[in-house]
Amino acid sequence: MASNVSSVYIHVVDDVINKVRDEFINFGVGENVLTELQALWEMKMLQCGAISGTIERPPPVQKPAAPITPVHDLNVPYEGPAEEYETPTAEMLFPPTPLQTPIQTPLPGTDQSMYNIPTGPSDYAPSPTTDIRNGVDLKAGRPSPYMQPPSSWMTQRPLGVDVNVAYVEGRDEVDRGASDQPMTQDFFMISSGKRKRDDYASQLTSGGYMPQQDGSGDVMIEFLLPENQPKEVQESMPGRDRETAIKILSKRETEAAPVLPQQDGVNDEYDDLFHFQGVANEDYNTPAEHVELRAATPAVGTPKPAKHEAVEDDEPPLNEDDDDDDDLDDLENGEEELNTQDLVLAQFDKVTRTKSRWKCTLKDGIMHINSRDILFNKATGEFEF
Amino acid sequence: MATFELYRRSSIGMCLTETLDEMVSNGTLSPELAIQVLVQFDKSMTEALEAQVKSKVSIKGHLHTYRFCDNVWTFILQDATFKNEESAETVGKVKIVACDSKLLTQ
Repeated sequence: MASNVSSVYIHVVDDVINKVRDEFINFGVGENVLTELQALWEMKMLQCGAISGTIERPPPVQKPAAPITPVHDLNVPYEGPAEEYETPTAEMLFPPTPLQTPIQTPLPGTDQSMYNIPTGPSDYAPSPTTDIRNGVDLKAGRPSPYMQPPSSWMTQRPLGVDVNVAYVEGRDEVDRGASDQPMTQDFFMISSGKRKRDDYASQLTSGGYMPQQDGSGDVMIEFLLPENQPKEVQESMPGRDRETAIKILSKRETEAAPVLPQQDGVNDEYDDLFHFQGVANEDYNTPAEHVELRAATPAVGTPKPAKHEAVEDDEPPLNEDDDDDDDLDDLENGEEELNTQDLVLAQFDKVTRTKSRWKCTLKDGIMHINSRDILFNKATGEFEF
Repeated sequence: MATFELYRRSSIGMCLTETLDEMVSNGTLSPELAIQVLVQFDKSMTEALEAQVKSKVSIKGHLHTYRFCDNVWTFILQDATFKNEESAETVGKVKIVACDSKLLTQ
């Protein structure tokens, strides 16, 4: 009967409140906080239908509007055994005792606790005994930002945590990807980049055989090191590619012109398409990568294939839909919805199986089925797999 | 003493968790104290189920999924029937999570 379930729940609430009262006192938290906790808890249970409205108990919590100090309900018989729960009488009892007076000044305490709160969640965000939450707590170890109320310290809300994690992870990867480019760029810049360009800018006008450092031919920038340092380039490149590079070098020399409309390099249009690749990425990647790419495409080829493959290297296709299965999807979606799904929480004594016939004996369980709560002391299950 | 946090997923447990969440968020309660409350809830709930509840239920259905991990059985049943002395309920899909009762008594 629902009223039995309600009475058990009320009993649990009372039991918990009584047993934590000492803890609250030890922590220096006032009795009114405890009362508020009890009131809020019971109110929520009323709202979700876990307990019925007719509670045979002197401290009435049927008025959700008064969370802190429940009003003494005159309609309820006064001789109930839980007289000590009544806040008004409790408060009347407390002030006389000198031990309670330190507790009567909650403000400094709460201020302190507020300062402690930012560090609080991190202390126990990963709950040690979350093994029972199979589908939900995959993210149990993630410290969520505290300011998001439902999931800040329990890490129990799947949706909230998932969103946070996905966002953070994505950001991290983007940042990482983006930061790699500048770093490598800087490295090459220092060794062979701008400095060389500056050098050659002055020499271009001389009209000599200058390897083109930028412009339409700068795709091969990593090969076109200054002539006075050809050894470095050739030694660092693999054999096959060295020949290609040398061919390209000679080609570049014949094509050298002082002014060429620059179609790629720093000012190409690909930056708009591939922001995360960084600026002029084709120049400053490791030579090996570009060597392979260049070998595949003709010398005057555009950087498009390079960027394409670079994109794929950084972000391989996720293949999210490979295992699409109706059963699988439904099941996983169902497993995510813990609260709306019918649920039985219990302890098992024995689980056996014979061929495809499963039998189990359970005990001390709470069932939430068809929006109803049913408690049991013993249960036997027979399932066909 | 270790407790089963299992019952925190029930209606009463979720209500308590939400209440504690709110109170910690607005600074009324410290997180350490909130954990203490939850641990006490685990104990009280377990005791109440043992002592105060006397009903027996039988469950039948098609087992869609079974999982045993960290000493916890998880079953997902389809078209299950729950019978007790007073009523019978049928559900299309239900999840059963069961912890090992022997772990508490060790």
